Amino acid sequence: MAEMQKSWRDGALRLSTLPLLLLMGLFFVIPLIMTALLSFQGTQYYRLVWTWDTNVWTDVFSQIHYWKIMWRTLTMALVCTLLCTVLAIPIAYAMLHRLSRWSDQITLLMVFAFLTDAVLKTFGWVLFLDRSGVLNGTLEAIGFPPAAVNVLFSPNATMIGMVYNLLPYTIFTTALSMARIDRDLVLAARDAGATRLRAFHEVTLPLAKPGIWAGAVLVFVLSLGVFLEPKVMGGGTSPLAAELIRQSFETRVNWPLGAALTLVLIVIGAAVLAMAGVLAFWQARRGSND
Amino acid sequence: MASPIIQATGIEKYYDTYRALTNISLSVANGEFLALVGPSGCGKTSLLKILAGFEDLSGGSLVIDGQDMAGMPASARPTRMVFQKLALFPHKTVAQNIGFPLHLAKRPKREIDTAVRRMLELMHLKESYLNRYPHELSGGEQQRVALARSMVSQPPVLLLDEPMSALDAKLKKSLQAELKHLHRHVGTSFVHVTHDLEEAMMLADRICVMRAGEIVQIGEPSEIYYRPADAFVAGFIGDTNLLPAKIMQVGEGFEFSCDILKCSSPRLDAEQVAAGVAAGADALLMIRPEMLRLLALGETADCTLAGTVREYFIRGASIQYRISIDDTEIVMDVPGTSVLPAQQGDAVQLGLSLSDLFAVEA
Repeated sequence: MAEMQKSWRDGALRLSTLPLLLLMGLFFVIPLIMTALLSFQGTQYYRLVWTWDTNVWTDVFSQIHYWKIMWRTLTMALVCTLLCTVLAIPIAYAMLHRLSRWSDQITLLMVFAFLTDAVLKTFGWVLFLDRSGVLNGTLEAIGFPPAAVNVLFSPNATMIGMVYNLLPYTIFTTALSMARIDRDLVLAARDAGATRLRAFHEVTLPLAKPGIWAGAVLVFVLSLGVFLEPKVMGGGTSPLAAELIRQSFETRVNWPLGAALTLVLIVIGAAVLAMAGVLAFWQARRGSND
Repeated sequence: MASPIIQATGIEKYYDTYRALTNISLSVANGEFLALVGPSGCGKTSLLKILAGFEDLSGGSLVIDGQDMAGMPASARPTRMVFQKLALFPHKTVAQNIGFPLHLAKRPKREIDTAVRRMLELMHLKESYLNRYPHELSGGEQQRVALARSMVSQPPVLLLDEPMSALDAKLKKSLQAELKHLHRHVGTSFVHVTHDLEEAMMLADRICVMRAGEIVQIGEPSEIYYRPADAFVAGFIGDTNLLPAKIMQVGEGFEFSCDILKCSSPRLDAEQVAAGVAAGADALLMIRPEMLRLLALGETADCTLAGTVREYFIRGASIQYRISIDDTEIVMDVPGTSVLPAQQGDAVQLGLSLSDLFAVEA
């Protein structure tokens, strides 16, 4: 604590944070303020008019359509976060322990897949899942009826694409924090009488929590802003918030509306993160009093 | 001796093709304190991991507390381990750490609480520590918490993997004394891996010296120290002088000849010669530094050596002299005094009792 207080009085230290402050100010705080200001303007004949009124906001709050999309975006993001987080735990664990011999190769392949352009990967899924695509062709060849898997162009397909594209984030953060756990701690739990599963539950999982949380937050924030997967794999039938915002700016050329919807999305995301933070804090406190 | 708590018979361990342990047979009596010592890589830690159940056997059998350990996971074994780096759970409080084995065994909360408090008292830990986390304790306190955790469920066997190697010398000394006291108090059998020979001598009822995956000698500390099985054990435990000599059997005893050791009647009893020393062959005479003494002018001893003081180290309770005799250097410890008995460069006469000599294979 003393060190923290002292560091604020350290002039050189304060100076060294200047570039970061500048960066955050220029590219985060100022654009955010500009977006907020923009939402109080109007449009006429596809041109921005500096009206300084709340017409756009009245529009946003009166149209149930926007809120349906916001709600869908939020639930999709939460489900995607849950899936990515839950899937990443066994994958990361297996990568580090059961398949540790091939851990480097697996990581390399994952990095390749991760760095491949998302557009290519998403269209790859279309080819794979299509009614006459690779998956259905293979299933037909081994005796399934034609087009057995008909998932493409539905919200489920969107979810598959989102989970696929975002899963590496949770795998990497979870694996990183699991790799830092001293192997002796697991052995100590085993030695004290814990089964493998119990040792995982008592030692590995709680100690990997920071990485799991970090991955969940990353995936949640990123999944709020997806537009590629709903468009390509979801077939554009159930657009999410990012698509709505894009349309407002580009198709309808209604910048104030786009700005207002952007703010709504940011507030929703921030509120959920804040709630998760409070939840995690209470859980930690309850755990320590247990 | 009652039936042993640990009975290992012909244990072998391979890591791929590397042979880590060869034909290890060992028994530990109930309540005994056994130290496993040896240079790093000798297999002592592998053996401990096999006892704990962290490693499988490649061959041989292991019976602990009357049960065959084949295929039995660490979690079901009647052993508890104290880890080298302690392995306290950083996310659990001291109370949760100590009570963990009971918590796993689904014992009632009250019982766990009582047991934890009992361990706390036994380990001289303050009650206010119960809700602290391990990182908030000092090294010595963490050590005590680790010991408490491993003993809370009263296991028949406690395995200690050099748990004191990270502590400073003074703390180590006091914890060693406490560990010895604890062992007497609880009656659990201890198997203690260490490379610190002084620690092994001080703590253990018996010492098992290992080298390259094999047991070289098992015996009481005095046996290991004064009657080592071979030159390796002699050189490994404490400072020692090994003088080349020839041994000849004469009747029940032995006669010897050594170039630098002058004895009036160079005879050794049968028990002063290690097994494996062949009569007529080359041998080494072991002389511990503290067995030598400085002879005053005209004073005599069973055996004498004449040399020159090369250097000395004042070590408090003792003074260590390094004395050159021709090409050989001899180490001698004499009781510490404020007036040095000999200076650098002095020609000195050293004396030795014949009964202190012991011969090992060259």
